[in-house]
Amino acid sequence: MICRKRFPRLHLRARHVVAGSVFLLLASTSACMYAKTKVPDWVVQAAAESLPNYPPKTSAVILLNDEQFTVNAQGETIKHVRTVWKLLRPKARKDISEVAVGYRRTRDKLVSMRAWSIGPDGKQYSLEDKDMREADPEGGYELYSDYRIRYAMAPAVDVGSIVALEYEITSHPFVSDFIWYAQDNYPIRQQRLLLTLPEGSTYKSSWRGEAPVEARNLEHGKTVWEMSDVPAVDVEDVPMSPSPRTLMSRLDIHYTGLSPAFTTEGTWSGIGKWYEQLAENRNSSNDRIAEKARELTAGKTDFADRAQAIGEFVQQRIRYVAVEIGVGGFQPHAASEIFSHEYGDCKDKATLFSAMMKAAGMRSTWLMVDFSRGTIAPDSPSIAANHMIAAIELPEGYSSSRLHSIVTAKSGKRYLIFDPTSEKTPFGQLESELQGGYGLLMEGAASEIIQLPVLSPENNLVRRTASFHLDNAGVLSGTVMETRSGDIAKDWRYVYTYGTLKQQEAIRDSVLGRDLTSFQLTDVKVENAASLLKDLTVSYRIEADHFVQHAGNLLMVRPRVIGSTGYTLNHKKREIPIDLGESKLVQDEYEIELPAGYAVDELPAPVKVDMGFAEYESQSEVKDGKLHYKRTYTVRDVMLPASKYKDLQQLAGVIENDEQSMAILKKVN
Amino acid sequence: MKQMIRRAMLSGMLSAMVCIPAFAGDQWTTPTKEELTMTSQPEVPGAPAVYLYREETQEDALNMWSVYIRLKVLTERGKEYADVKLESFKGSDGFEFQVSDIAGRTIQPDGTVVPFTGKPYEKLVEKSGEGKVMAKVFSLPAVQVGSILEYRYKLRFPDHWFSRPTWYPQRDLYVRKAHFMWKPTSHELVSNENGHEAISNGIAWAPILPPGPTVKATALPTGQSVYELNINDIKPMPEENDMPPVENFSYRVYFYYTSYHTADEYWKNEGKFWSKHVNSFIGPNSAVQDFTQKTIAGATSSEDKLKKIYAAVMGMENTVYTRERVHAEQKKEFKSTDDVVEAGRGNDDQLAMLFIAMARAAGFKAYAMQVANRERTVFLPAYLSFSQLSDVIAIVNVDGQERFFDPGRRYTPFGHLDWRHTFTQGIRQSDNGTSIAETNLELYKFSHTTRIADLQLAPDGKASGTITITYNGQPAINWRQTALRGDETSLHENLRKQMERHLPAGMDVKVSKVENLTDYETPLKVVYDVSGPIGKGTATRLILPADILFANAKPRFVSDKRETTVYFPYTEFTQDAVRLKMPTNFTIESAPASVNEMYEKRIAYSRKSKTTPNSVTVWRDMVRGDMLFETKEYPALRSFYTKVDTDDQDSIVVKAAAAAPATSTVTVTKQTTTTAAN
Repeated sequence: MICRKRFPRLHLRARHVVAGSVFLLLASTSACMYAKTKVPDWVVQAAAESLPNYPPKTSAVILLNDEQFTVNAQGETIKHVRTVWKLLRPKARKDISEVAVGYRRTRDKLVSMRAWSIGPDGKQYSLEDKDMREADPEGGYELYSDYRIRYAMAPAVDVGSIVALEYEITSHPFVSDFIWYAQDNYPIRQQRLLLTLPEGSTYKSSWRGEAPVEARNLEHGKTVWEMSDVPAVDVEDVPMSPSPRTLMSRLDIHYTGLSPAFTTEGTWSGIGKWYEQLAENRNSSNDRIAEKARELTAGKTDFADRAQAIGEFVQQRIRYVAVEIGVGGFQPHAASEIFSHEYGDCKDKATLFSAMMKAAGMRSTWLMVDFSRGTIAPDSPSIAANHMIAAIELPEGYSSSRLHSIVTAKSGKRYLIFDPTSEKTPFGQLESELQGGYGLLMEGAASEIIQLPVLSPENNLVRRTASFHLDNAGVLSGTVMETRSGDIAKDWRYVYTYGTLKQQEAIRDSVLGRDLTSFQLTDVKVENAASLLKDLTVSYRIEADHFVQHAGNLLMVRPRVIGSTGYTLNHKKREIPIDLGESKLVQDEYEIELPAGYAVDELPAPVKVDMGFAEYESQSEVKDGKLHYKRTYTVRDVMLPASKYKDLQQLAGVIENDEQSMAILKKVN
Repeated sequence: MKQMIRRAMLSGMLSAMVCIPAFAGDQWTTPTKEELTMTSQPEVPGAPAVYLYREETQEDALNMWSVYIRLKVLTERGKEYADVKLESFKGSDGFEFQVSDIAGRTIQPDGTVVPFTGKPYEKLVEKSGEGKVMAKVFSLPAVQVGSILEYRYKLRFPDHWFSRPTWYPQRDLYVRKAHFMWKPTSHELVSNENGHEAISNGIAWAPILPPGPTVKATALPTGQSVYELNINDIKPMPEENDMPPVENFSYRVYFYYTSYHTADEYWKNEGKFWSKHVNSFIGPNSAVQDFTQKTIAGATSSEDKLKKIYAAVMGMENTVYTRERVHAEQKKEFKSTDDVVEAGRGNDDQLAMLFIAMARAAGFKAYAMQVANRERTVFLPAYLSFSQLSDVIAIVNVDGQERFFDPGRRYTPFGHLDWRHTFTQGIRQSDNGTSIAETNLELYKFSHTTRIADLQLAPDGKASGTITITYNGQPAINWRQTALRGDETSLHENLRKQMERHLPAGMDVKVSKVENLTDYETPLKVVYDVSGPIGKGTATRLILPADILFANAKPRFVSDKRETTVYFPYTEFTQDAVRLKMPTNFTIESAPASVNEMYEKRIAYSRKSKTTPNSVTVWRDMVRGDMLFETKEYPALRSFYTKVDTDDQDSIVVKAAAAAPATSTVTVTKQTTTTAAN
């Protein structure tokens, strides 16, 4: 398990180790040597392939992707890969020229890595070992990691160039699962996966979503998947796109033949059993843990109160530090160790939480999830996930008004889903990124895939109220109060607990600057930034110059003074699903005392749109010399099919129009 | 990376020395009550943490550099400082430094001490033929808001290698107290810093420090020199928009092993080496001579000759904008401008030197000047290092007048400089050797952009038509260089995205034409076809942006506070003309009034409009004739921009002739309201 792991990108920018000479203009460009070896035939053959017509923005194509995954009788795996790219546009020059292979130092051995290129003029180049560099791909972001890349810059990479890479990695895996992504952000001309298993070994496979190709069984334990003209998954310039990783075809292969400890059986239950033995006793309590659990729950009798006390302790007190070394990428540290150090990663936090719950007479287990909705798919058992959270078993018949993120397992047991790593999500709720996705509930043989609930919009509430006075000079002054509750308050809670005053000011300025050209805030007051169960409130007094627009004898006033909620969409045909981000309820209510000497000539028309997945309603009216504006915006879903894009465009247009609409005042006498 | 200097074996081997830990005995500091209980640092409200103390000590005789940190965690974010990563290096040339003697502890607000007892994890950062960078990483235990983090470590260097330190008392966090000390070697050293070896028998330093603290140089009775700096209460470097390059502005002290006594002496003497080095590349040699004669054939005047030379160099591939060739493709390293001519390509500096070579071959007096790139740094003569000077430009005497040229920046018009090379300093060649010189700022007229929108409005508030932008000067250079880095598709994509950022949300933008993309002496012209909603409707009116190109504009200076100088890259002049033709049966109820705003004759803004029965045309001019505005000017500058931002948001109000009556009107008088109709 790798918390918040980035999707492996094997093409990384080279970093210079040593500073260059002072006389930069005369410094040599490179000391690398390239042998005159002829490129292999398989590269030449791939390069000779004729290409179909790709869309003009296609910057490169993968001519060949050939992967051979072999498991030998000792359980060692050998992955042999050949890939050939062709550069079609300068845009991909850097990406294609940097060939790289990632591996885990304590688990894998990079047996060989070769690369070649053919320039646009047909000249051939070969990279040797001495041209290669090795690096920590995260650039040191993850403090404890054994992940490495070996990489090099292929020469003569320009439009029309060919780049080829061949490598082999042997590995002693911790789990008998192999994941194959059958798509890329470039189109693939020809592709093949050859699976070879030792005698007596079998496998199960599943495609996430629709199978693009059927397996062909060959003799001697070999199976092959072959595809051609696989389209690219390109989300560049696609607004509100899900993670591309969730859109790519993925094949999960689960094989037998290894020690049972490493086998997942190709079922969710099997993965659960594998993790159970991996995490066995890691959530054991000790005296210090038990004492702390007692201290935290002392005097509390309500289940939610007791669980929350422990939950907030692990959320707040245990510092997040990523640990990704060897099996430590999956296996949590012992609770005693985490408690003692007061730091750990996501699986460590879930483990300590479990141990403390156990010590306090409650129970929680692990729930494997992914921050990208769609990575975990019910029809495709897989270890592809990047986060571990907790599932708290609720007592039978227990209910509490503040517990919202509840699921019921096939066993009939109810669980509260809780992420001890998310420091600013209130207990009883769940981060928006996880809502609507799936997770694997770790209950040994009874493990099962569950869908995480999408919380009702009321749980993600933004409420702005304001009372203003507008003078004849167009200066708007008044008081504003913004209240946020639920996970939607998370970002602001981070700002107001992590950020410096200057950063907090800058963010307020940036948000208000979308709607006001010049303003000054005074009496800024922030309450409950660290109290997750209380509403976060930010209040201030504002004075904004030049709020109105003068046009002849007209004065134009925007009733929706602050708070932009719209979407930035494009006009392109939509083919991939839409990620709305979060369910939410936004309520704005403003009143503006209008200047004397003006009569309201026109008000924006009331708006009411209900698209099903979202609803928007607003109204402006004048009462007692004050312009009142009220709106409610409700988002109910987190994901939409591409077919709903027109509805979303329509909604975006309505919101944009309403947000910019003006009340027109006319000078009288 | 410190500049390393190899010790010359002139004075025999170093005496055997015994390494005595500098912090023998109790290596930690007992926190004061105030340190334990403090919750903030008033000078930096909301700061995540504060350095209570930083100490860096370098002792050359011990081949050792030691660091001692005491840091107070003030917020949740400050806990991140408990994760420590210390890099070591082993070079293929024999130089290395290793991290050792790591020790640390956490002190809780109640004084409880939690020692760090773990073993740092060692991981690879990067490995190549040049060397290997490893890192020792560790996390201090039990860290909470209020904890004091304390750790120390040493870096050890091999014998015969010496580094000159650079002290950085200004950090990302507020520093309450810092102490720096250097005990340099007393041996004469051979420096190979500037492409030639020199015996360094002295130490110099260039301090960039606030008033008060100074570097103290003393000598121990043993003769050992000691340099020290004690400095207190240093705020972190501010981060603001539109600020000057900060590379040389944060507080620091540069040290040098040197044989020079003054900065003038350094630049004069090192300038000679630089000039010789540059001339050896420039030549001109035979290939350049031949190429030059062919290039200038038929030219009748000095100006014509130089323009032909400039065009020839500009026509070559500039690998800064395409791609550098690695050794495998270009076996022969360019040693002279002849090689550049032969290859037909070069990087920016090589092409600049080719231009100088060709000018010389054509009989001009031509000189190289190596300047600080104003995008990254500002030249500091007191900082004795050529590393400040990264780019080569050319100076040519044309008919008795020296003029600057920028052939290394592709598509810079003849006789002009890219903004990065304007208003900067550097070292130049002259008939009498070398000297420090400076370049001028281009006038605002150089970067002149016109934007003409011609749109037809439909009754539903949608408009369609064309927007034509003509770029001169720097904006044209920028777009042409963008085009060089990509292709037509990417250029159109970038142009489209930029226009979309200007226009009202929801407008469809297509680039229909790009003219004069490669002709750097003529304006670059881009034509867009645009369509989509631009107006907000009420029951009877359409409210349209006065200048559609500012429909999405955001205020330039939102914050009312400023710590640094406001710094724009270059001066410029932008003119808009937006014509909106109305649908039939629509009348123009209001058009924007004329406005003129001026900031101290340095920035000027004007707008006017003209209305006909079926159209409105709005003209907007903005001239910014300066690029540096002091911090004390900020309130007035912000006020000026606020007026401009507000004016730019003005509207055109259009009414349908056969409009339905308003749904409601309310007469407002002070404290009373009367409903006139409903």
